Amino acid sequence: MLSLLTERFSSGVFVIMNAFTQVMGIIWRLLPFGYLWNLVPYDRRRTIFPLLLIVPTVIIILMVVLYPLGYSVYVSFTPLNMLRYEKTFHFEQSTMWRNYERLKDDEIFIRSLKNTILFLAVTVNTEFVLGLLLSQLMARVTWGQGLLRTILMIPMMFAPVLVGFQFAWFFNASVGLVNNAMTSLGLMQLNDPKPWLVDKPTGMIALMIASIWMNVPIMTIILLAGTLSLPNELYEAAEVDGAGFLNQFRHITLPLLRPFILIALTIRSLDVSRAYDIVRIMTNGGPAHRTEMIWTYAGRMAIRSNRYGMASAISMAGVILGILFTLYLFRQLVKSRVVY
Amino acid sequence: MRKKIGLLLAVLLICSVIVGVPGKQSTVRAQDDGPQYAGLDKDLSGITIRFAGIGGQPYEAMYDSFKVFEEATGAKVEIVFLGDGFEIDRYLKQNYAAGTVDFDVAWNHTSFTAQYVDFVEDMRQYFTEEELAPFSPAILDAATIDGKLTLIPRHADISAMHYRTDLFGNADYQAQFESEYGYPLAPPTTIAEMYDMAEFFTNVTKDTDSPVYGTQFAGKEEALAGRFYELLVANGGNYFNEDWEPIFDNEAGVATAQWMRDLYENGYIPPDTPNNIWPEVAQNFCDGKVAFYLEWYGWYSYFQDPNSCAVAGKFGLTRGPVGTAGDVHTGWAGAHAFSIPKDAENKEAAAQLIKFLTSERVAYEESQLGLLAVRGDVWGRLIAEAGASEDPLAVPRLELAQQQIAEDFFTPPLFADWISFTDLWFPTLQSIMLGDVSVEEGLAQAVEETTGLMEDLGYYD
Amino acid sequence: MLTNAVRPYRRLRQTIYNIVAFTILIIGALPAVWIIFTAFRPGNEVNIRPAIWIPHRLTLDAFEKLFGGNTDVAAAVPVRSYMWNSIRVATLSTLIVLILGTMAGYAFSRFKFRGHTLIFLFIMLSRSIPGVALSFPLFLLMRKYDLVDTVHGLAFVYVAVNLPISVWLMDGFFRQIPPELDEAAYIDGCGYWTAFWRIDLPLALPGISAAAIFAFLASWNEYQLASLITGTPDAKTFPVGLYDFTSQFTVDWRGMCAMSVLMIIPAVVFVLLTQRSMIRGLTFGAIKG
Repeated sequence: MLSLLTERFSSGVFVIMNAFTQVMGIIWRLLPFGYLWNLVPYDRRRTIFPLLLIVPTVIIILMVVLYPLGYSVYVSFTPLNMLRYEKTFHFEQSTMWRNYERLKDDEIFIRSLKNTILFLAVTVNTEFVLGLLLSQLMARVTWGQGLLRTILMIPMMFAPVLVGFQFAWFFNASVGLVNNAMTSLGLMQLNDPKPWLVDKPTGMIALMIASIWMNVPIMTIILLAGTLSLPNELYEAAEVDGAGFLNQFRHITLPLLRPFILIALTIRSLDVSRAYDIVRIMTNGGPAHRTEMIWTYAGRMAIRSNRYGMASAISMAGVILGILFTLYLFRQLVKSRVVY
Repeated sequence: MRKKIGLLLAVLLICSVIVGVPGKQSTVRAQDDGPQYAGLDKDLSGITIRFAGIGGQPYEAMYDSFKVFEEATGAKVEIVFLGDGFEIDRYLKQNYAAGTVDFDVAWNHTSFTAQYVDFVEDMRQYFTEEELAPFSPAILDAATIDGKLTLIPRHADISAMHYRTDLFGNADYQAQFESEYGYPLAPPTTIAEMYDMAEFFTNVTKDTDSPVYGTQFAGKEEALAGRFYELLVANGGNYFNEDWEPIFDNEAGVATAQWMRDLYENGYIPPDTPNNIWPEVAQNFCDGKVAFYLEWYGWYSYFQDPNSCAVAGKFGLTRGPVGTAGDVHTGWAGAHAFSIPKDAENKEAAAQLIKFLTSERVAYEESQLGLLAVRGDVWGRLIAEAGASEDPLAVPRLELAQQQIAEDFFTPPLFADWISFTDLWFPTLQSIMLGDVSVEEGLAQAVEETTGLMEDLGYYD
Repeated sequence: MLTNAVRPYRRLRQTIYNIVAFTILIIGALPAVWIIFTAFRPGNEVNIRPAIWIPHRLTLDAFEKLFGGNTDVAAAVPVRSYMWNSIRVATLSTLIVLILGTMAGYAFSRFKFRGHTLIFLFIMLSRSIPGVALSFPLFLLMRKYDLVDTVHGLAFVYVAVNLPISVWLMDGFFRQIPPELDEAAYIDGCGYWTAFWRIDLPLALPGISAAAIFAFLASWNEYQLASLITGTPDAKTFPVGLYDFTSQFTVDWRGMCAMSVLMIIPAVVFVLLTQRSMIRGLTFGAIKG
């Protein structure tokens, strides 16, 4: 029964969406809009107008995200294996929790979950602190603001794939920039290079550095914009009162910047899975699962091992993590909006 | 022109050796039938053949030859996908599984083909015995699954021992090695000798201007699992028994894993080995950082080019070592190939294109880039031509390759989930190498996980 | 009295700020500088240890190779089509995202309707779903509608992926524009559409440019979905094309660096054109300086 429902659901959603798009297409052809709009009674217009503005966005997101997501959720309850598509793409109530039950006891999954959380916690926090410091510094700079901002934004323009390749190269043991620099500075023997991406803490740290390097500019730019928008009068008054830099920062800048901080963190949180490209290229979770994260584990499970059911179950953990992260920040954001 | 005369002389010489009597007839024949194209005999006007294949610089020459095919047959070849080995593998699996095949010729590989068995045509329907005759029987055997020939090979590769002649030929090193280890320094013929020499070269060059690592291997993914496999086989072991039960935690498995772990722990292989794959290991050898290791023939022209590599002219090739099993040489091999998907639209035309792409002439031209041919007729021609080459290694290399392909050639276990299995196994092997777990523990864990995987996949039902 | 003593100290402090800021940012940009350097080096200086820090000479070899100037390696990497595809995908998707995002953002900021918060949350959350979870079904979907390996198929997916951030940014911008302006317009007899088009939109332009930067950079740099949907030079974009330098033979770092330089140029131009108004836009209307 349930299997029938879920199966219907995953194909049904798309049928409905498809029909909806076609209906929208017909409406589009039934111009003029103005005439139709005139048919809407005055008192309903205020509710119908915003809906009309939102509908295309919602439809597109439904098409590209909802159907695949529904499919993934469905698949995560099946033992789907790509090489045995016909045989394994079916749902059975008795085994539906099997993938999830396995994950519960899967050491590598637990480790990848821990690594992911650690990675996100360290990178997002470091990016935030660095971004805040940099933005405070940049707000005080009196010459070359435009040039400064352009230099700042350079890392932002690098594709995550590119950042991955470049940092993999920098941290490469035999020809990497870091080892070469250390050798030139006399900190390392030529015949004793350090395998940064292999050793235990340094592998994770290297990944974090790459991710931080790429993301600090976004944080800084938003916080800088916020800092520049703060009223000067408050600082002048504080100066007259004899408040020092630290006091000003704590009592004026930080509270006033709060909405911008949340905006920056939310934008960042929406992009957490962009780190996947970096991690995949630099270590792909290895060696020996030392830098394994949810994305790499799910990705390898799906692409190399053909185990799509299991991979979907793993990526559900990623989905939940992403949603929780976003929800949390979003609530903070709404709260801060009410205050102001 | 001079090259041509040289070629002619060489062909003549070979022919005379083979036939025994130098006759005019054979000379004329050799001149007339240079390598021939095939598959151009049908009119395919108006047909579009869609092609999903592997990309990369060494294969561009072959794609250029599409023009010849198009002109001769009137067909149009459209490339729908090009990617590296794993990208094309993902693309094919997605399309096969989803039933969305829209290509007529698909890339294939002996190590991957077991995955695609259910989705590709039996090539014997399209190739006559006569047409199949020139192809290496060992490769055709390896690609025949349940009596079905799943692919037509294009070029092959097998691992061979690459060693530095300048290091092995150094008189000081020779003397020192013999006094320390009690036998003369020569390219390693056993896995145990490999360890001794790796140790020796790492230590002896440590404080010189150009330190080398004794040996190396690709340290992750299928590459690691495959290297382990050939050493395991040479040591008398195997991954699975006949009932597909994993058995690599036995003595041979322990010895092989211990060997890898010791090499890493003692620094006889590069410290970033677990993060290295084909390009990195080849680069290391090319830069002169490694004394000897097992590598594919395909890199030959790259290594031998003084513009790209420091080791050009300073290395030699020999057969893979034997292990404790005594008479089994390492010989992990594979062949790139083509298949026709079951859901293809123009199967006949696809077969024509494959005939063309694996024809004597295209294969010959491709082999000149250093790739190993899979056709006997191309081999003869290449060896004949190599005799005239200035490269002293040209002939021995081809003869060695021929011997290896004939005697040592073996593919990984032919089951659909080979790649899936390697993905499960290689991280555990890495933890063994890195010392995260003990050898026995790691192998026991891997065997247990593998049993679970095979159970899930229904191998024991 | 006090000010006289403070002033020289202040000036010194200011100079230190300036110098420190520039130093830090330049150090931060060093990896990028190194990449640009590498693109112009002779090939034999790239992969060596110990390193050659200062290039002995600068050369355009890598670029020549990319564009097929040297016929031996011609067309090894079809950079021209990658560039053209990237430009088409990024501009097309950015345009659509801006149009739809602005409309939806306006609706969310100005109107109260049933399901307001719920729909908004749904849009936002759709973004936090990792690509790994979507890849295979998305491929099936694109296949079904024959959008695989096409530029507009990829652009279509990017629109969906980038809409949430744009909607959310635009919602923020419109909130900063006093609603009284609209009310006044309604009283003057303007319709909803006219008020949106004539009054709010021009005021939100800086905000739109901030949203444009995010959308453009995101689609310009995206790899996962592009590698899934595209397969040939007909639709492959730059990030996917970078892999051409790693396949089969040794990784050509210099070629990759040269391509990176090409890849970054349009992004830099785009950011330079929009960065001023982006800063203004990100302050959400509270413009200063």
